[in-house]
Order: sequence, then structure tokens, then C-alpha cells
Amino acid sequence: MSLLLEIDAQKGALIRGEAVERPAPKPVKPANEGAGDVRRKIVPVVKPPAGPSASEWENGAYVSLQNWLEGAPKGAAILLQPADDVRALEGRVGDVPLISVDFHRIGDGRGYTHAFLLRKRLNYAGPLRAIGAVTADQVFALARVGFDSFALRADQNGETALAALGTFSVPYQGAVVAGTAADREAALLDAKVRLLDLALKNIAMSHNRPALASSLSAEDMVIADAIARLNLPIDVFTLDTGRLHSETLDLVEATKQRYGREIEVVKPDAGAVSDYVTRHGADAFYESVELRKLCCNIRKVAPLNTALKGRSAWVTGQRREQAVTRGALPETERDAERDMQKYNPLADWTWTDVLAYANRFDIPLNPLYQRGYVSIGCEPCTKAIRPDEDPRAGRWWWENQDSRECGLHTAANTRAA
Amino acid sequence: MYRYDAVDRLIVEERVAQFRDQTERYLAGLLDEDAFKPLRLQNGLYIQKHAPMLRIAIPYGVLSSEQVRMLSSIARRYDRSYVHFTTRQNLQYNWPKVEDVWKILAELATVSMHAIQTSGSCVRNITTDPFAGVAADEIVDPRPYCEIMRQWSTLHPEFAALPRKFKVAFNGAKEDRAAIYVHDLAFDLYRDQAGEVRMKVLVGGGQGRTPRIAAVIKDDLHWTELLTYSEAVLRTYNKLGRRDNIFKARIKIQVEALGAEEFARLTNEEWAHLKNGPNTLTQEALDRVAAHFVDPVLGAPSEAASQNLPTDARFREWMTQNVVDVRHPDYAAVNISLKRKDIAPGDATSDEMDAIADIADRYSFSEVRVNHTQNLVLPYVARAKLFELWAELDKLGFARPNISLASDIICCPGGDFCSLANARSIPLSARVAERLEPIESELGPLAIKMSGCINACGHHHVGHIGILGVEKGGEDWYQVLVGGRADKGGRLASLLGKAVREDDIPAIVEGIARTYLNQRQNGETFIDTFERIGAEPFKPALEISEQAQA
Ligand code: SF4
Ligand code: SF4
Repeated sequence: MSLLLEIDAQKGALIRGEAVERPAPKPVKPANEGAGDVRRKIVPVVKPPAGPSASEWENGAYVSLQNWLEGAPKGAAILLQPADDVRALEGRVGDVPLISVDFHRIGDGRGYTHAFLLRKRLNYAGPLRAIGAVTADQVFALARVGFDSFALRADQNGETALAALGTFSVPYQGAVVAGTAADREAALLDAKVRLLDLALKNIAMSHNRPALASSLSAEDMVIADAIARLNLPIDVFTLDTGRLHSETLDLVEATKQRYGREIEVVKPDAGAVSDYVTRHGADAFYESVELRKLCCNIRKVAPLNTALKGRSAWVTGQRREQAVTRGALPETERDAERDMQKYNPLADWTWTDVLAYANRFDIPLNPLYQRGYVSIGCEPCTKAIRPDEDPRAGRWWWENQDSRECGLHTAANTRAA
Repeated sequence: MYRYDAVDRLIVEERVAQFRDQTERYLAGLLDEDAFKPLRLQNGLYIQKHAPMLRIAIPYGVLSSEQVRMLSSIARRYDRSYVHFTTRQNLQYNWPKVEDVWKILAELATVSMHAIQTSGSCVRNITTDPFAGVAADEIVDPRPYCEIMRQWSTLHPEFAALPRKFKVAFNGAKEDRAAIYVHDLAFDLYRDQAGEVRMKVLVGGGQGRTPRIAAVIKDDLHWTELLTYSEAVLRTYNKLGRRDNIFKARIKIQVEALGAEEFARLTNEEWAHLKNGPNTLTQEALDRVAAHFVDPVLGAPSEAASQNLPTDARFREWMTQNVVDVRHPDYAAVNISLKRKDIAPGDATSDEMDAIADIADRYSFSEVRVNHTQNLVLPYVARAKLFELWAELDKLGFARPNISLASDIICCPGGDFCSLANARSIPLSARVAERLEPIESELGPLAIKMSGCINACGHHHVGHIGILGVEKGGEDWYQVLVGGRADKGGRLASLLGKAVREDDIPAIVEGIARTYLNQRQNGETFIDTFERIGAEPFKPALEISEQAQA
């Protein structure tokens, strides 16, 4: 038996059988700078058969559609040819142990329509196999029209075929194009989660010690969850300013427990903090923007810079929706001041998306959200807001709109990249 | 502009990853030529005469200035600093390297663009009126329907290996500017008595070696059944279309063989199972897609009835020829002529593309449209700024006042690029344009269309004058046709006679044009005159010239 890829409702996709030995591949040399033909041809290893691709399957013989209609033995499997009219089987597919569809050429797409009709029109629920010219690059579409078994062409690689089953996560047809608003919302969330996963994988692959600077906000919890779910080498650290809510600090422990991964807790320089407190007073940030910024500097910005030292990228949970100052937030930008790349993979997420993710993956969230907090920072500088208020209205509410960033994300530091 | 959402973005990103993997396997020798071919084709990658060619999709011809800049920058970095706009509102790069293509596609993905299904035996890029959304004679804005069709047909698992390519077009205006009668499947949108959007469904039109005018197989399809009906048409075609002969595989051959009525009957039989099914569209689904089109807010029409535009004669000529009225009285759509002297029709350099992007930002809310006549359109120009814009376009050489005139020739890449060509149509088109230029404003609207071979990418079958390259004893020869049209229900041009030498073509075309000038009656255009007198009176033009050479 050659390689058989099967999708099992319980066990998922697996491969049976053995690959056929094939000659070592010869790489192609593209030479298309000049005139004339552009490359050497690679010839298929396997020639397409003239007649049906097989006469039997694991448990017996195949019969043609014609023979089956004329009264084949019970338990026979049917082998359909491209020109067959599948509708002849209407009402008669109940106890067929296997229907196989023969693909004579990769480009002959009639077998896809056979599968659609068998599944959707004739309600055939048994195993449906593609045989013949079946390559790894077709299995995704074949599976989508209803095939659950693929006898791969002899030169195919099983692992490639298996991986190809996951090529597209959210195809357009069905729910996305014609579905209800709820279908569409679910598809959009699927797509956002998958885009987040791809972005994080890409960051993990292309950087030296990338890290998520987590404020333990819901956004950062989403990213931390994805990092843990994908088991990516992206560090997670959090800045303990010394003025956080106890609810927030509790989350550090909860997160460690949940994922079994380390979260580094970075503290401000003790000397600088006590200096500020003695010179200006512990809550001097209410007095002026300068003193507020100084406090943020000591308790957040400086520790952040320390934590980012030696890394080539950092990840944040900023979203465009969060503030007017973030309206044009790009998904990736150059952090010029720190000379590193900065990623905002949730830039186009809405608050609803964040909650939907939290709900789907059941991630721990700061209980303060339940109490009307939208943006959670240091205890003295954060308050709950009314649902109709601007989300940033709960931060440094005594200041003007445009100064309300803590210095971690000032636009002047960064530019789109 | 259509704005991508997460689903759109993810699909193009995953598509790039898939094609990268396929290319790498191909280059490693793990994927044979036969298996790689359909994969690269459905990512827009052809192997042409001198090099691979990459065709990028411009869905329904709409581009943002950001996209124009990216296309220009890609041309600079991966190609020879120019692009070619095709007769199907797409764009082509003529010299990319196979191993670079996935990188190009990855860069395009960052500006919501792709090359999915721009080639191969599948549903191709959807085309429509370049003035969609602004046209004064528009009945229904076709763009949301185009986009729904684009989404549904993108990577449709059942229809990725059709017998042959499958081109779909939409028209929603009184005048058909999308050549819907020469498409495999087309929809003509209108409103019924109750104000509901319905569609005339056309199948089996096409050009190529067997040109056919489409047949109407349904004349009152309710818009909610757009997808179910399309599915029925495609399934019928996928089952019955010929796969034994590539030249007989298009749906038009099937429709002709069965007869349009029988084809309609089979489609309706299949449709009966699908109608009111899960693919039936809802108002909510349509609104959702329509909301992705973020059009500029043009404000209420101003009181000032007439603008005082300068009387500069060249400007006035340009106004008459290249500027089109739109619904909003204070605005106009402006054609940017890509038919310039000594430059191949539809070509633009990277520098020119950057200049166009810049102009679009300043004059047209950052939007550009691509016309199937290989010109570009600025859809939202304030009338008060027309003179200023003209001066800028004029400086760049984009203000040739020749839209729909004789020198606005549609021409395929031909023998200079295409491996299938019999003739080098581009240099010839330049000579024809030059010959007619002195009389072109007197001639008025005259669509000359030229193809390098019978595949008819230059749409010669629907040219008022069509010119087709054929090979004869190793030399370039040409057939001349007259009387075709792509609009008003379409009509195929009639062949005037035997093929003639390349050198004779400019004189012959002039002879045909002069025949019209002699024969025309009170205000008739070329095509009006043809409709009255037929092909016969034009035949001498062909012979006179032959004798003159002999
Ligand atoms: S948020 Fe308030 S308490 Fe926290 S560092 Fe800034 S000023 Fe200091
Ligand atoms: S008409 Fe022929 S020569 Fe011209 S582009 Fe098409 S295939 Fe090539």
C-alpha cells in the first residue's frame, strides 16, 4: 500500500502505509535573467495511469459505478471515474463501505464536484477517498469538499500532505461570505487569533530574546496566553511600580500557576524611589505633569529600559481603539530611542475581541475590570469610569488629554517601520 | 476603497506562506513541473517568452495611492522599474524571478493585494465599470456584489481545477463599460419595479480563437441568489465542460454545443437544489461588505452653478476628451491617458507611478481606478481643481487628450513579451496611432484594438477596428476586422479579407477611417456608420493598399 492520509473524526489526521523510494531530488537552477526558456524542466516521477488508478483497496476489490448499479456484491467499494454521473447513486449509498474518486490528472477537477454531490446532495456519510493523481498540494481543497481519505501519489511526502491540511484557517466560503453576523464574528475572531499567532511566531523567529512587557492588562494576558499556547521563546516580564493594586499583583502568581512559565517581576531602583518620595512626597504626581512624569520615569520607564536591555524586540498590548493618541498605531514600528523593533500585534483588536479571546481560552483577568476599570495602571492613578466615558478617562484624569501617556509608548520615540 | 478585515488579511498571508513552501519544494526538486504549474499559475506566475511574468490582481480595478506606491517600489526592486496594466484591470511585471515571487507577494500582502487566481483554470479576477460608485448613469453600485463574488470564488475548493479559465464581470450602469457580453459569466444589474436589485445573467461570451457574444440565461435573478446561481453555473460547467481539447474547454463552447436554452435548463435544475440555501445572501451580508467600501465624503453640491474654467485651448480639448461627468456636480472623473507616443499602451514607470500616487493623494482622495482600456482614472476630482490637475498631468505627459480616440489603442504585450505571439503588436500600434493622429479629433470615438495572436488579449474582436497578428512564412502579417463593439450588447467584428503585411497596416487603417469620413451622415460616429452601411464599403481599403504595395 502506498501512503494513505486519513482524517479521523476522533483521532485527527494520520498517515498510514509507506512511502515509495524515490531518486534523490535535483534542485532547479533558475536562470531567467536572459532570453529563451527559463529553466530546466523537472519531470514528474510518476506517470499518470491510462485506466483506473487502482483495482482494489485494503479490504477488497473496487467496482465501477456501472457494475455497482447493475448489482455488485454487498460490501463492494465503488471507484468513480471523472466522467461518471454521481447522481445515479441517489438514495443508494447507505451501506457502501468506501467510495473512491479517481483523479486522472491534477487539473481534472470533476472529482471535486463528485465529492460535493456525494456529501451534500446524496448525504453519503461513509469514507470518501481520493486516489490517482493526488498530491500534497491538493489535499486541503479535497478535504474541504468532503474527502476524508487520500491515497497519495507514490512520489508524495506524507508529512507535507499532513501539514497542507492546515493551509488556510478561515476560508471565505460559507460562514464568512453568506453567514449570519454571529458566524462572521466568530470567523473574524478565528482570523485575529491566527494572525496573532503568526505575528508572534514571526517575532520569536526573527529576534534575539524578544519580550512581552506585560502590565497584566487583559490585552497583555491575551498575548501571554498565545505565547504559552504556542510555547514560543518570548519572555514575559512585568513592571512592579510599587503602587499597583493588590488584585494586579495577584495576577502574577495566577499566571505563573496557569502556564507553568516564569514571569520576571522588574522593580524600580529603590534609591530613586525613596529620593522622589522624600523630596516631593509619595503622591506628588497629582501636583503637576512634570512630577507625574518623573514618577512614571522612575517607576516605569527606567525599569522598562533595564528590562529591555540586550533584546532586539519588544511586544506590547496597545490597541488603536484605546486612545486618540493610538489611532494610527502600526503593527510593527521602530523604537528608535531603544534601538529595537516594537510590535503591537493587537493594534486592530477591539475591546470586544479581547473579551471574546479571554472567554474562548478561559484566561485569568484582573477582577478590577468587573468593577468598571478599563485601563489599569498604578492604584493612585487609575479609576473606574462610566461605560459612556472615553477608555483613557480612567488614567491621570486630572491632566489634559494629550499628556496622558506614561512615557513607555510616546510617539516621538517611534516611527512606523 | 475596500478595506481588508482580519479574514481577508489572514487569507493572503496564509496564501503567501503556502506559495513560499511550494516554491521552495519546487526549487529543491521535490515538486515536478506538472504539479507546480497549476500552483504558480494560480499565484499569477506565468512563464513567458523571455522570463517569468507575474500578474497582480486589482479587484474591480480599484487602487489606493499606497498600493500604487508599493507596486512601483516592487517594480524598482524586483523588476525593471516599470509595470504594465492589462486589458482586464490587472497589472503585470514582466521580469520577476521565480524565487522572488513569494517575497513580492508578501510585500503586496502588507497593502491588501495579492495575485490569487490571476491565471490558471479557475475563476479569475472580477472586473467592472472603472467609474463604479461615481458614474452619472449608474443604476446600482456593482462593487459590493463584485467583492462578494471575489470572496466566494477565492480558493473555492470545488472550482479550482475547472476545464479552463473563467472570467466574471459586473455592470451596474446604463452604459456597459465592463464588456460584459464577452465574459464567461456576467451580471447586468438593474432595479425592478419594486426597486429591488435584480440581475440579467449572461454566460458563454468570450474572445480568444472562438469569439462568442454571451447568451442571457436568466433575466430576473434576485441579488440574494447571486452566489447560488453562480454555483449552479460553475458546477454545470465543471461537470460538462470539455477536458479533452484545451481549445474547446471554455464555457462558451459548452453553451454553444448544448444551446443556451439547454444550458439554462441544466443550470436551473442544479439551482433548484441551491436556491434559498445556505449561500443565499442576506441584506445583512450585503451591508457588511458594502460597509468595507469607505468612499470619500464629497459634501453637498455647491450653489455656484457654473465654474469659471480657463479657456486655454489645449485644456479645453482635454476637458472634452478626458474628463467624465460624475453624479456629484462639483466633481469629475479624470482619465489619465497611458497611450503615449513611443510607449507601449498600458505601461508606466516606477517614477510615473509614484507621481500618479502623489496626484491621487492631492486630487482624488488617494484613489485610482484601472480601466480595461489600459488607462487610469482619478474618480473624485473637484471641478474647481481641474485646470491645476491638467497642468500637472500635462507636465508628466499624461494629459494626451485621446481617450476613446484613434490613438487610444488597446494592445496586448504581443511578440515583445508574450511567448504565444505571432507578431510584435506594440510597435505597430505606435505607427497606427501616429498615422491617425492628425485626423483623430475629426474621427471622434474610434476603438482600435490589436492582438498579437488569436488568443485575443488585445480584444480585437470587439474593436471598431480590430487588428490581429498572424504568422505567414516567418513574417508578421495582420488580419483587419471592422465593426466590433464591447458595449451595448456587444458585437463581434467582421473580417475584411486576407491577411496583409505589417507595413501596410497604418495606411489600411487610415483608409478605413477615411471611408467612414466619406460615408458618415449627420453626426454619426464610426460605429454608427458601420451599423448603417455594414462591412462591405470598408473592404476596398484593404485592397487598395495591397495593390499600392504590389
Ligand atoms: S502611574 Fe502614577 S504612581 Fe504609577 S508611576 Fe506613574 S505617576 Fe507614579
Ligand atoms: S493575444 Fe496572443 S500575443 Fe497577445 S498577449 Fe495574448 S497570447 Fe500573447
